[in-house]
Amino acid sequence: MRRAAPVVLSVALNSFSESVRNRFFTLFAVFAFTAVYASVLAGVMAVDQEARLLADFGLALIELTALAYALFGASSSLLREAETKTIYLVFSRPVPRWAYLAGKFCGSMLTAALMLAVMALLHLSLLYFRGFGVPEAYGWALFGTFLKLSVIVSFAFFVSLFSTSAVSTLVISAIMWTLGHFASEARFLAEQSAGLKGFLLGALLWLVPNLQLFNVRDAGAALAIGPSALFSAAAWTLSSYLGALWLLSRKEF
Amino acid sequence: MPPRGALLAAAFLCWGAGAYAASAYRSPFPPPSEMRAPLEGAAGDMLALAAGARRLFADLWFVRLMQYYGAREMPAEAEQPGHEGHAHSVDGLGHAHCDHDENYGKGRYPLFLPMARHVLEVDHSFAAAGLYGAVSLAFGLNRPAEAEQLLAYGLKYSPREWKYLTVLAAIGYSKAQDPAAVARTIAPLLKDPDCPVMLKQLAAFLNKKAGDYAAAAAIYADIAATSRDEAYVKNARRELEKFSSRAGSRR
Repeated sequence: MRRAAPVVLSVALNSFSESVRNRFFTLFAVFAFTAVYASVLAGVMAVDQEARLLADFGLALIELTALAYALFGASSSLLREAETKTIYLVFSRPVPRWAYLAGKFCGSMLTAALMLAVMALLHLSLLYFRGFGVPEAYGWALFGTFLKLSVIVSFAFFVSLFSTSAVSTLVISAIMWTLGHFASEARFLAEQSAGLKGFLLGALLWLVPNLQLFNVRDAGAALAIGPSALFSAAAWTLSSYLGALWLLSRKEF
Repeated sequence: MPPRGALLAAAFLCWGAGAYAASAYRSPFPPPSEMRAPLEGAAGDMLALAAGARRLFADLWFVRLMQYYGAREMPAEAEQPGHEGHAHSVDGLGHAHCDHDENYGKGRYPLFLPMARHVLEVDHSFAAAGLYGAVSLAFGLNRPAEAEQLLAYGLKYSPREWKYLTVLAAIGYSKAQDPAAVARTIAPLLKDPDCPVMLKQLAAFLNKKAGDYAAAAAIYADIAATSRDEAYVKNARRELEKFSSRAGSRR
């Protein structure tokens, strides 16, 4: 295990540097332009609620941008390495499959963390220039977004190992992300439904990670990310990782 | 590498543990069954739920509400050339008259309550929107019953929101024709950063009416310094100029 740690680190750093070189800054430019444009519009429309609108719009945009890029990376990374036969070179060396997968996941999360940090900085400076301070629970909102990304990126790695293309992985993961945000509403509907229908809906809910647990961006300071939310995030991430490892172990490389 | 079967079993176990830990969580938001979105807003509400962006969509609904209330509402004949900006009526002899009654310019805004309520249905914690809606209904549109309805809905999901209770009390005093008590009741709200500028304007007006010019001037000065709404800022500056010229003539 101790010997594998440098392997995980080098795969992670390699994956991170690959991501950073890959249209990374174009996305930042798009984000910056959209944020500035939205701030001008918000100033005209929201009047005295401009600070709130700017904060909400920025946080939503940060999450969507980071999600899009992280999913794009996670869904194409393993497929690309299999297509270019790079993965054969990696596994011809003493690289355990679990370490390779862990490295890939850590690289993706490192990229996501950097994206979140840079975009948050951009967003906060925009707020500052418009005369506003740091919004309430801003750090927690970013942390919640990071947890959501962790759950969904590991799920995307899992899906990418059985789906036929990067697009289908992207679509399936995006659907899971959407369902994850619907989970609380679906639970409400399940509790309202009686009999078999309610039971089936309740059982189905166990298959969907409840991303609202981490959605501080939406619920604000009212939602505290406590130990149970952290445990859920870790458990769902680990579960997808183990599932992906199971699929990877069945493949002939 | 552990056996493949163990990996799969561990994956299921982890997923189940995550779901179990999350099962106690209940959404703080009003349930979807309470969302009474107008037809053209239903897709937006779906998106709000799907993207976990209730706050952002509540903001957009609030902007729509302000635009709706900000747009002048007039009957169709008021837009005819030569008669812009006012309504008409026909007397017993069949003669048409231009109407300039006390409600002129106030409008009916029949969708105001459903739109204001919808902001809270999407995000109940948006107290500034609740206050704006209730104050507009009670004091701008003279529909206190609808304002109370809106505040009751807001209090259902935010029972500790003292600002709603304060406005409820102010509506009560307003019904009892006691403007000084209304001004006193809403005074603590004015210090809140979420206080709608309209409420500040109302407080200043009530203080002026009650003869407390110092309090009115302080509120107008606050509006002029903090509001981003140009119309209110201009009005506040105008009022402040009036106060200073009045004070100058007394000297």
